[in-house]
Amino acid sequence: MHAAGTRVQDFIGDPVSDEPVIARGDLEDVFNDIQADIRYDHDLNGCLNCGICTATCPAAHYYDFSPREIVQLLWTENLEGVYDAMQEKIWACAQCYTCAARCPFGNSPGSLVMIMREVAIKHGMQSAKDVLRPFSRVMLKLISTGNQLAPDMINPEHFADWGPNISKVDAPLKLLRQAIPMPTLNTTETAWEVNLKTSVELYTIWEMTGVLDQLETIDENLFDVIEDIMDEKREDYEDWLEDQEDEDDDDEDD
Amino acid sequence: MKENCGERLTGHGSEWNDAKLSADDAKTATSWVEARVDKRAMLTQKDRVEDVRDVMWQLEKEGEIAVHRIEEQHKPKMVKTLFGWQKVIPTTQLWHHKSCGQCGNIPGYPTSLLWLQNEMDISYLDETDQTSCTAWNYHGSGIGNIVSLAAVFLRNFHQAYVSGKAQGFDDGHYYPLVHCGTSFGNYKEVRKFLLGSPELREQVRKILDKLGRLVDGKLLIPEEIVHYSEWLHVMRPEIAARRTIDVSHIRATIHPACHVYKMIPEDAIYDDDILEGNRVAVSTGLIEELGARVMDYSTWYDCCGFGFRHIISEREFTRSYAIDRKIRVAVEEAQSNVMIGHDTGCITTLDKNQWISKAGGPEKEVSLPVMADCQFAALACGADPYKIAQLHWHASPVEDLMEKMGIDWEAKKAGFEDYLEEVKQGHGESLYDPRLKITSGPGFKKIAAPVN
Repeated sequence: MHAAGTRVQDFIGDPVSDEPVIARGDLEDVFNDIQADIRYDHDLNGCLNCGICTATCPAAHYYDFSPREIVQLLWTENLEGVYDAMQEKIWACAQCYTCAARCPFGNSPGSLVMIMREVAIKHGMQSAKDVLRPFSRVMLKLISTGNQLAPDMINPEHFADWGPNISKVDAPLKLLRQAIPMPTLNTTETAWEVNLKTSVELYTIWEMTGVLDQLETIDENLFDVIEDIMDEKREDYEDWLEDQEDEDDDDEDD
Repeated sequence: MKENCGERLTGHGSEWNDAKLSADDAKTATSWVEARVDKRAMLTQKDRVEDVRDVMWQLEKEGEIAVHRIEEQHKPKMVKTLFGWQKVIPTTQLWHHKSCGQCGNIPGYPTSLLWLQNEMDISYLDETDQTSCTAWNYHGSGIGNIVSLAAVFLRNFHQAYVSGKAQGFDDGHYYPLVHCGTSFGNYKEVRKFLLGSPELREQVRKILDKLGRLVDGKLLIPEEIVHYSEWLHVMRPEIAARRTIDVSHIRATIHPACHVYKMIPEDAIYDDDILEGNRVAVSTGLIEELGARVMDYSTWYDCCGFGFRHIISEREFTRSYAIDRKIRVAVEEAQSNVMIGHDTGCITTLDKNQWISKAGGPEKEVSLPVMADCQFAALACGADPYKIAQLHWHASPVEDLMEKMGIDWEAKKAGFEDYLEEVKQGHGESLYDPRLKITSGPGFKKIAAPVN
């Protein structure tokens, strides 16, 4: 519990105390994970603090976020500062990569932020769990179907500020989708019709790359739901494969 | 000049102070910056990056990877990229790598593209054996990693390579055409790391092997990663030749997509004849070729505010940025009639986030039709605005643009509503033979001859 302290006191510790809240070893683990990413050396080449990245950063207009600060913290190996930035600041970045395009050193602060976000998830940081809670619909859709957005996600209840014109033709969603002249798009629960075989292949990728572990760390309930969906789809696919074998056997008998 | 009240959230930290420049000095300073950031030199004056395609050819020579080549059968056209390197753009036998945001939310985006291709007898395949690139989720949440992104990239592109088999074609018959700007940027970034890292290649090889998606035991890398806007760019003379509506009085502003040209900038198309070669050429080249007037505006370089996660759960940022940094500037500075984009998130953000400007009262309200380059091109070439361009899904006032183009949108809309009755009866139209959409797995049936 860190209810009484400021953010610095909560996550970094009292600056006049010898005992930081976060043990040095934990800070090193986090930083080492960031540095271990194969993209790290590609994304960080040096920094003269020129600030062109922050001057052009859309998130810096609206949040207490500066890509220059992120680069400086990493470049100077400021472990406490890096850890602190991972509690909130890194989630402000809009991932436009304008900073990367403009940096005279060829740094990519946007990509460094992605590495830090991955590591925040790996370490189960509460900040990551809090930030990603409203994003769970997208994750559920993506992991279970291979699509990130679906027509049934776009409705006035979820996007009240988009106004009344989500569709300017008054007809049921299913009918409007059937009126799209691409047969793969006549769907409502996925953006396009995804073959069962394709979904099963994607599950293999999630499993073999540790993505499901990430998900379990961040949201155990969501992980359980997705695992059930995956199991069901795998069984369906196995059944289809068996049917195929039976049909092949029948053909041979004929 | 308004004094800083001390409450501006700039992200520079508490030590930041306003320079208190006079209006003239501020203008001079801003002009100095703009004179540089508006130039291609902003990107090219840095140390030149390597051309990863050189690494790719070397790895192919060493037997490490296989390359999906763009061949004569794809009727390629050549373009030049940031450093003057040549990029090959296939123009036919295209495998549509769809975008989840476009298909889910702006379906007139892909349908307009396929309609244009039908008009030009371009061969293509749109099938169900494709996942999204998964990069929207990755950039928004951090769920995913470089290995998963690479495996998804290689799986989808391998499927493109073998997809022609269902119709009796050789491997490599269809070449992938990527619809989404984020997929395009993400795949190019992933390709760079794959070609540079033997360790990553080994990790991914195990996965692709398990999926049965290696070619002669090797990872398959595409010769080029091609965005649909690049296809439109090289085909713009053929498209403009089919124009049936005069658009010379239309003032269009272009929103170039960050993930199309800021991510892996060395691969973006630049053309000395388009904006003097200072900005990415796609979309602008097409709109100019169609005869419309491309208008400049000071925030052309800014992102749209999509933010990946922000459009879902940091909506104040997204709508404020879209309204104040893009739409309002395009309307007030350029008196724009339409904003044209070439990416999923940008069109969604800029189109949907205008209505809320009413909350600021009449003096703050701002609106501007927003659509993709291919939708505008299809309209100019006579496509039905509802059946094909599917403009009823757009929240922005696209009707204003149609009126300016001389399109009787009310009659067209009524026609579409009548058409919905036919769809109800199961008589909907399709841009291609629906049987082609499944190439293997459940639901696949071999067909003798497709009907287009």
